[in-house]
Amino acid sequence: MNLYRSSIMLCGGTGCMASGSLKIKEALEEELLNRGLENEVNVVFTGCNGFCAQGPVMTVYPEGIFYEKFMLKDIPEIVEEHFIKGMPVERLMHKDSTTKHPIALMDEIPFFKYQTTWALRNKGLIDPEKMEEYIAREGYLAAAKALFEMTPQEIIEEVKKSGIRGRGGAGFPTGLKWELSAKVDAPLKYIICNGDEGDPGAFMDRSIMEGDPHAVLEGMLIGAKAIGANKGYIYVRAEYPLAVSRLKIAIAQAKEYGLLGDNILNSGFDFDIEISQGAGAFVCGEASALMRSIEGKRGMPRPKFWRSAVKGLWDRPTVLNNVETLANIPQIILRGGDWYRGLGTERSTGTKVFALSGSIKNIGLVEVPMGTPLRKIIFDIGGGIPKGRKFKAVQLGGPSGGCIPESLLDTPVTFEDIQKTGAIVGSGGMVVMDDLNCMVSVSKFFLEFSTEESCGKCTPCRIGNTVLLDLLCKITEGRGEKQDIELIENISKQIINASLCGLGKTSPNPVLTSLRYFKDEFIEHVEQKWCKTGVCKELCTFYIDETKCVGCGACARVCPKKAISGERKKPHHIDQSLCIQCRSCYLKCNFYSIKIGPRAMRESILSNTEAPKGDIADKEAGQ
Amino acid sequence: MRGNILIVDDEPIILRSCEKTLVPEGFDVETETSPIRALKREDLNRFDIIITDLKMPEMDGMEFIKEVRKSNQEVSILIITGYPSQETLKESLSLKVLDYLPKPFSPSILLEVVTKTMEMKSKVTASESRPAEYTDEMVQRLDEIIDAYKNKPGALIPVLQEAQELFGYLPPVIQKHIARGLRVPVSEVHGVVSFYSFFTMKPKGKHNIKVCLGTACYVKGAEEIMNNLKAGLRIGASGMTEDRKYSVDTVRCLGACGLAPVVVVDKDTHGSVTPVNIMHIVKQYE
Repeated sequence: MNLYRSSIMLCGGTGCMASGSLKIKEALEEELLNRGLENEVNVVFTGCNGFCAQGPVMTVYPEGIFYEKFMLKDIPEIVEEHFIKGMPVERLMHKDSTTKHPIALMDEIPFFKYQTTWALRNKGLIDPEKMEEYIAREGYLAAAKALFEMTPQEIIEEVKKSGIRGRGGAGFPTGLKWELSAKVDAPLKYIICNGDEGDPGAFMDRSIMEGDPHAVLEGMLIGAKAIGANKGYIYVRAEYPLAVSRLKIAIAQAKEYGLLGDNILNSGFDFDIEISQGAGAFVCGEASALMRSIEGKRGMPRPKFWRSAVKGLWDRPTVLNNVETLANIPQIILRGGDWYRGLGTERSTGTKVFALSGSIKNIGLVEVPMGTPLRKIIFDIGGGIPKGRKFKAVQLGGPSGGCIPESLLDTPVTFEDIQKTGAIVGSGGMVVMDDLNCMVSVSKFFLEFSTEESCGKCTPCRIGNTVLLDLLCKITEGRGEKQDIELIENISKQIINASLCGLGKTSPNPVLTSLRYFKDEFIEHVEQKWCKTGVCKELCTFYIDETKCVGCGACARVCPKKAISGERKKPHHIDQSLCIQCRSCYLKCNFYSIKIGPRAMRESILSNTEAPKGDIADKEAGQ
Repeated sequence: MRGNILIVDDEPIILRSCEKTLVPEGFDVETETSPIRALKREDLNRFDIIITDLKMPEMDGMEFIKEVRKSNQEVSILIITGYPSQETLKESLSLKVLDYLPKPFSPSILLEVVTKTMEMKSKVTASESRPAEYTDEMVQRLDEIIDAYKNKPGALIPVLQEAQELFGYLPPVIQKHIARGLRVPVSEVHGVVSFYSFFTMKPKGKHNIKVCLGTACYVKGAEEIMNNLKAGLRIGASGMTEDRKYSVDTVRCLGACGLAPVVVVDKDTHGSVTPVNIMHIVKQYE
């Protein structure tokens, strides 16, 4: 075996691959070869590092120096300075968001510093296509322990002791699920890994499947032994081709090593895993729909007369676990349930991975102990809102969740506390929204999603969501009436009560939470016909505050309709008859001199053609 | 007039009943009881659709189609037959037959099939270069796929996925072929195809562009990118440009939220796309 003095861990996740990391890998290897360093410096193509927005990223060990956003042309410099002269390249390091000083070590970057990585423990450290590297990081130790030293009952006890709850969204205790299925006496049982990560804005499961596929296989193997299943399926979205190919490689390797197949490690236990690819239906993340889909049918949920632990896939007892849950299992077996319980809070134990995205500086994957306040995740780890914008809301739980306002940012992230706010932890997507987002439009966006993804089986979900969506369209298009808001609340309750599966039962959540925390915005839309963010085009008038305008002309240059005119260094003016409310000028202006008024303003300006004096809209808003 | 149709069948009663269904709907229908006479028609090339029987005393329907295809690749051909079989269905695939109706069929089905065919034609005729539809090898490859999955439980979805990869889309005749091969009802195949958004019954352009409409991309303005793209490429209602070079699709979250807004062209992922640079990205693909 070759010993290297240094190792480059280059990220090969979907994000960094899109930023060209594959070409960078080739260039790095070539440059190292040219400089005669090929036996001294090792290039490893790892799974997703988690700091996706800074891509491509790499970490150089043993020092742990982190480079971000470098390009092909920077490679010779990195090799020359870092590996030959021993001088790390400061220019390509992460910069502190306030002081702008470079931070050399990965562990000192705030984004990584506050994280506790267990489900993501191998991120950026191993080559997901090499099983040996997983094994070197205690891989399959837990499986061996479960196979030779523990009875199924002991495994279940350990998992129950850990208190781990399903990471897919519902938060059902995993140990209990396994126990239910283990009790059923049947010759054939199945264990399924749910990799149908459909929530828009969530990508932690993708990252685990791509970056650490063997952890998922090991978790499934332990689960299979616990419930007595000999066959497993991994259901992956068709949108994740890289995850599918990495899992296929991992399964083939595990079979070759005798860790899957008949008589695993001579323990007498047989277990095999197959990959089943989804075909683009959000509802297939629901347990019974997912099983119908594996059977090759339309993925429609069934009424829950019995649990799938008793009668699931092909009417056999089936356990369905989320990717992240399964990736946690090996550590629980290895370190014990009490250790896991020590992380997190009493009723929500362990750590949880969140996918931070939207209007936030540090976009990426974040793993923190349960109970960490939202504020810490968004502002300490996430670095807050970019471009001087203001935080408005954070969306948790995708189309089943809701938007949490600033006043509740100190809520600890646990299953119970988040539920109290009206949102759900869900699979862990956290989309941060700044003050450019209109909450009515955001609610509409999620309902469009639910309406489109409703399988159509039960009426409350199919028709109810369509009616809700119509009402919201009406409001955003300026036809809203006073009673509509009440009607929305009323219909929502009926959809929640009468729908068959989780999709329908939770689809009104985004609207209901927005109504709870941002009711004023709904009322402004309906009564004043005023969308203060300028998103709803029928409900706003853009005008220039002449007292603030310095006449730089930036707005006139971005206007696609040439509706803005004015002399240099003199206040500009928007021609309302040409303005199409595209918001380009508003986003461009650095002096906050472009204002958004209610729709009625446009008509009054058009009729007497007089430019507004001063700050009408702000006064009306009481600002 | 909605289209010119020629129907060839040795039984006059069938011809009359088809005429009765189609003429009131505005189609211009001509009929022939003899395929030989039909081939001799000077105006054979003016028809949009030819509907033919298979078992005819003068000439076998398949032979007739082959003769027609020798001089005319453009006409849409539909088969109506009282003797449906796996062999003829397979053969019809390689002759680019659009649909295969076993007799007896209800008038409404005939009308639906003919209307759909005309709709497809009206979308396609504008294009200069039509891509090669399906070849013998492709059909053979499809049979291999079906055989590989035949006795496995849950075979339908993987077979459809591979078939779509092969043909680019899943027109009715392919769905029927798969249904027969896997011994499941056509309704079940169609049910699955129409349920999952991954499957499409419309052909895709040479380059397929997928715009992510996940939450993170939406918050960062994916809708505007979509609008600019559609306007810039002049994408019609069919979701495709007239020359079939580009088609545009939406997708619900690719899980690459760190790069939002994301657009995928063929198999390349492009991150941090803006409404302005989207056209530059797309133009790289010729």
